[in-house]
Amino acid sequence: MTARSLYFVNWWVDTLIIGGLSIVAWLGLLAFYRSTNTQPIFWFAVVLSLFVNYPHFSATVYRLYQSPDNIRHFPITACGLPVILIAAVAASFWQPNIIAPYFVMLFLLWSPYHYSGQTIGLTMVYARRAGFPIGRWERMALSAFVFSAFVFGVIRFQRNGLTDFYGMSVPTFPLPDWIDAVVQAVMWTGAVVFAGVTFMWCLKHKRLVPPIVLLPALTHFVWFVPGAGLKSFWIVIPFFHSLQYLLIALIMQLRVRIGVAGGEHSWRRVGAEAKRWGSRNILGGILLFIGIPAAFSWLPLPVMTTAGILAAAVNIHHFFVDGVIWKLRDATTSSALMTNIAEFAAPAAGDFPRRQTVGA
Amino acid sequence: MHDAVAAVAVAGSAGSAVAADASDFVSATPRELFLAAGIGAMIACGVTSFFLAGHVSERTHVALAMLVVLIGGFCLFALFGMIGREIPVAGGLLFLGLIGLFKLMNQFEMRRDRTSRRKETSDE
Repeated sequence: MTARSLYFVNWWVDTLIIGGLSIVAWLGLLAFYRSTNTQPIFWFAVVLSLFVNYPHFSATVYRLYQSPDNIRHFPITACGLPVILIAAVAASFWQPNIIAPYFVMLFLLWSPYHYSGQTIGLTMVYARRAGFPIGRWERMALSAFVFSAFVFGVIRFQRNGLTDFYGMSVPTFPLPDWIDAVVQAVMWTGAVVFAGVTFMWCLKHKRLVPPIVLLPALTHFVWFVPGAGLKSFWIVIPFFHSLQYLLIALIMQLRVRIGVAGGEHSWRRVGAEAKRWGSRNILGGILLFIGIPAAFSWLPLPVMTTAGILAAAVNIHHFFVDGVIWKLRDATTSSALMTNIAEFAAPAAGDFPRRQTVGA
Repeated sequence: MHDAVAAVAVAGSAGSAVAADASDFVSATPRELFLAAGIGAMIACGVTSFFLAGHVSERTHVALAMLVVLIGGFCLFALFGMIGREIPVAGGLLFLGLIGLFKLMNQFEMRRDRTSRRKETSDE
């Protein structure tokens, strides 16, 4: 196992994007910004959203709809689901005080669940790249840890009163007190079992598990357990989730565009394709989160309410599309997720047959 | 006004029971109308699945069935979302139900043909 094949880019880039940056941000905020006035962080996050959060949604939409084959393969996700979501948005516009809060609440509860799925997925990808097998029991322990951390975070968010979303008053989801203890018990049991299995593997193979394999779960823990107590950090968690996503989505896009028979393999081409894909997704993100809400500004609702409802719909659509297009069991997806960016610059290493690419 | 509209609506019909139904429709609350729309959407999914029988894959039929679950789940959530304030245990169960819904939706439109199912089993 070479260092090149363990990472999508290299140690520094992968470590920072997958979790290092968010852990440093958490430590920084913990040390220097514990103020309850989150406005400066909020505006900073809004700017970052234009270049990271919004494009991450756009990248999913782009990946699904860029190929007619994808639409034919997933007709309900591509065509049926948007109809249902448009109906839910219409219902929310019609009853902004009765239906919209539940639509937004559904998204707010689904979102950290979705983050948990990404954490499991990233761990599986890096484990596969590192040659660290994650069987049924290991996966169960990891899932217990990750999903319990998400529930722990949700409980904290609810107790701390996450009621304001795009200026909309969203009721907190009432949960019984005992759930807290149960969730912590499951989370720590999962952590101990997974750590034990990892330790045994290290002993057996006389080598350490590369830290990058454990970094997604550790990062997830920081986000939802200690991070849940820091309001200024909540605001930037979606940014870090999106950053993780964009790294993987970029590699997949390079695979689709460059990793085909006859594709030009060079750093110049990698850079050009990354710029093309990045700029399209920035524009797509602006269209999704600013353009579409602006088109509905004629509605007799506050613009922020309209934007919040539409953002919830885009998010829920993203959760579905992500589930469809990123299945690791799919051979084409899993093979693409084993590549390193350098392979797209080196002709000998990256000349993949067209039939193996996704959405090409 | 409501009575007048109801009277017009039932002008061609006889019997007090019918008149009462029409009046119920006119005076339905927004929540009830939303529920009715949800039921309509579920019927539409079922009818779509029926008419597509033999023309689309089993995976598409399963996806339509999952849309029915999603719509029904959201309708129930909109009706009982705050039940935990009165009955904490019910709030906990509702939350577990939501996680189950998310987990189910994570399987949305996955390849479920026999070959891939066998492969998935062996992968695990």
